Amino acid sequence: MMQLNEEEYQTMIKRCLRCSICKWIPQVQIKSQKYATACPAIDLYNFHPYSGGGKIILALALEMGRIKPSKDLRDIVYKCTECGNCAIACKFLGTLEPLEIIMRLREKLVKAGCGPMPAQEEYIKAVREFNNPYKEPHANRTDWLPKDIKIDHSAKVLYYIGCTSSYRRKEMAIAAARIMNKAGIPFNILQDEEFCCGSPILRTGELDTFKQVLNRNLDVIESKDIETIVFSCAGCYDTFKVDYPLYRNYNFEVLHTVEFFDKLLEDGKIKLTEKIPIKVTYHDPCHLGRNAERYEEWEGDVVQILPLITIDVPPKPKRTGKRGIYDAPRNILKRIPGLTLVEMERIREYAYCCGAGGGVKSAFPEMALNTAKLRIEEAEDTGAEVIVSACPFCSTNLKEGIDSRESDLKYYDISELMLMAMGLEPEKLKWLLSEVV
Amino acid sequence: MLQKQILEEFQKIVGLENIDDSEVMTNAYSYNWCMEFVNCTEGKEPIPFSSIPKAVLLPSNTEEVQQIVRLCNKYNIQFKAQSTGLGPWNQPSSENCVIIDLRRMNKIIKIDDRSLYAVVEPYVSGAQLQAETMKFGLTVHMPGAGPQVSPLASATSMNGPGFTSPHTGHSARNVLGVEWVLPDGEILRLGSAGMKSNPDWYIGDGPGPSLRGIMRGWAGAKSGIGVFTKVAFKLFPYPCSTKFKLSGNSPNYEFEIPDFMKLYVMDCKSYNYLENVFLKIEEEEISFICSHLSGYGLGAIFSNSIESLMDKIPIAGMQVPLVVLIAARTKREFEYKQKVMSNIIDDFKLENVIGSKYTPNSLFYAEALRSNLGLHGFIATGGFQSSKGQCDTVKVCLKTTKMSIPLKKRYIKKGVIGNDFGEGVWITSYESGHYFHIESPTMFDQTEEKSVTGMAENMEENYQFDLLKHLGAPFFVEGDKMHDLFGPEMMDYHKWLRKIKKAFDPNGIADSGFYINAK
Repeated sequence: MMQLNEEEYQTMIKRCLRCSICKWIPQVQIKSQKYATACPAIDLYNFHPYSGGGKIILALALEMGRIKPSKDLRDIVYKCTECGNCAIACKFLGTLEPLEIIMRLREKLVKAGCGPMPAQEEYIKAVREFNNPYKEPHANRTDWLPKDIKIDHSAKVLYYIGCTSSYRRKEMAIAAARIMNKAGIPFNILQDEEFCCGSPILRTGELDTFKQVLNRNLDVIESKDIETIVFSCAGCYDTFKVDYPLYRNYNFEVLHTVEFFDKLLEDGKIKLTEKIPIKVTYHDPCHLGRNAERYEEWEGDVVQILPLITIDVPPKPKRTGKRGIYDAPRNILKRIPGLTLVEMERIREYAYCCGAGGGVKSAFPEMALNTAKLRIEEAEDTGAEVIVSACPFCSTNLKEGIDSRESDLKYYDISELMLMAMGLEPEKLKWLLSEVV
Repeated sequence: MLQKQILEEFQKIVGLENIDDSEVMTNAYSYNWCMEFVNCTEGKEPIPFSSIPKAVLLPSNTEEVQQIVRLCNKYNIQFKAQSTGLGPWNQPSSENCVIIDLRRMNKIIKIDDRSLYAVVEPYVSGAQLQAETMKFGLTVHMPGAGPQVSPLASATSMNGPGFTSPHTGHSARNVLGVEWVLPDGEILRLGSAGMKSNPDWYIGDGPGPSLRGIMRGWAGAKSGIGVFTKVAFKLFPYPCSTKFKLSGNSPNYEFEIPDFMKLYVMDCKSYNYLENVFLKIEEEEISFICSHLSGYGLGAIFSNSIESLMDKIPIAGMQVPLVVLIAARTKREFEYKQKVMSNIIDDFKLENVIGSKYTPNSLFYAEALRSNLGLHGFIATGGFQSSKGQCDTVKVCLKTTKMSIPLKKRYIKKGVIGNDFGEGVWITSYESGHYFHIESPTMFDQTEEKSVTGMAENMEENYQFDLLKHLGAPFFVEGDKMHDLFGPEMMDYHKWLRKIKKAFDPNGIADSGFYINAK
């Protein structure tokens, strides 16, 4: 698998042009002054080091000994949601990997004893003790599960709920489970053998604990006869799909619920029959969109074709977000009778982050909230009545953004809307329609 | 770092959260593209870091800028202002300097779609402004540095050619009214913006003598003559339909090419022939883009990576290519322009290879409209800088091109700069071919010391060569050393520049590392 190695890191941090492309969405996609920017950190804190390029400069300054690991440095490096929008912009023409450099820089700070942030250390400790970052009793992990949900312990499909859906956004877990039941898809859950996926740990650069979590999870799953894992959490999905294979391979298929449900709709196993005549806008979670792109195997040579000019033969695949999951959720929404999908200006691989990722929600809650408010404002500007997404972390943060802005927008997870459109939640649908129509 | 008392006084101006004098922040602001070879030319270590500023400030309005500048005068601290901040010109030349980062000043003050001008603050990017002007069927000139940079910086303080220059001119020629915080803290408004009654931004000159030449001269003062906080500049009709539809994912977007656009790429075979074709096309005033690039440059503007450049060998093998893009708003206008091009092609016995030997991706047209082509220069080595940089007749520009080939080849042979066969230039026209711009983009590897020092030597030898052969002032004639080199050969302009500097900045507070010191 291909990820930035130390040698590439050392060369790459010398190559930033300080062009500021990383601060903007791809230039040809800019549709207005208001929604031209890509990076929450530089949008909120303004000083150049908060940008992707700025953090590359910090990485170089650190390697050259011009600066030392310090609280000032740590605070800047960790005020980043690791949403990866900077990397999409840079790789429109460039070859740098700002997101990977930021991740490596965090690892270096952790090794130097200067990271993660105290609040992040706290939740990492919680994962070790409680198997979830929220310090919730492990015994309560399946409290979300209604009695009428059918679980099939011999099923080949595993529904991996994740900590946030288990403890904080139970409505998402319930909706996903009900949809699968209605579609007649037998599925299993790990019950008390489900632990944190490790995503919030990995993002801080604390690799040792992450690897322990990863190995335990894969040991548990591989001890069962599982062919497919379905996730309703974009963070768990991304971590299993993209990050786990960098450390350990596995032999099962990984799907997000939007992919799984889109296929069920296509196969006619689910019918969306109830009219929901509302205007909806969809927020692409970073973990489901641009970052949900696997590293590809590459074997080849770096060939010098002319002095100073080398090419990769065959061309090395670049992760540009093109294989993110963008169409599946939109397909689902378009199938809901009466529903109108209106897009925000920043979508798909250049969608603006909700603000919760990269450990920011716990370490810098004000940054997370202010970013969510920016995204909610963008959603409001579409004229939509409802903002929909497919990630419990985005859900929590965007809901807080709605409350903080006293916005008229409603937030729903896409599976909740599906449930209403399947006629399984008539009361909720009635309430929603009376609120927005 | 600043003394505590001075820091507190700055904090009172911009607020606690908008000033930072920490080691981390000031080091980050001492980095920039090409600093490594600038350091090299100054006999310093070839690293991409300049002098470290004392602090970085983020003012939010003109009054805060004025107060910062006054405080700098009070404590004899220099300032360096920057907007989008690309390039070594944004760097302090001494450690007794604060950076004024104008990022928070990012408002579009006005778009006047009847009088065709816009008024903006420093941190409005070209792409942002263009996105807004497109809503009025208008566009804006953007320099070759790309749509992500500040049009204010280009118009007031830098050079400013761009790929769309045949249609949108040159930054120096587009600037109208200006709001300017002088190095002593006084605020000056040029042109109609300075009128006592009914001030507005529609004209750059008067009442009274024009100061536009003093403000920016040939290549701008790079903050060495104060801080520009607002600028008005000309807008131009968007050349075709403003419907701008992309599909797919970055970086391989598909663009729905507007109805009335056509691209021509022709091999003029010789520079003498190119001169005549260039002049004829520009005389007809039909082009949106009209540029000569080397074969390598031609391949690069159609490629989004070095690997994809390899597919462009059929066109990259052209000897003296000319790229012309025409665009129109109506069928009739389009037919007229095509007919003119067709006649020129026939008269000069040229062949347009587009559609026959080569068909570019549709994204090329989107990037052309949004002024993104200049950034393709970085795809080979990641580092490049331009020697040369004249604005002159096409004859002189082509003379420079031809004469410079052996010199460039020498450095290519040494293996310190990228191989473009010595022919790597970009020439574009302005104002119906009345004058042209040439620069010589040169690729180097900023991670290799040998390449960096070789690039620095190459630049210095180019300057001497330009002087010896009377090829005019280069793009980056900046700093005392360069002005003292070129001034005596160019009517002693440097003496006048020093008088201007002295009159406007008696205390030498505006950092002039990339301008001129009064001495």
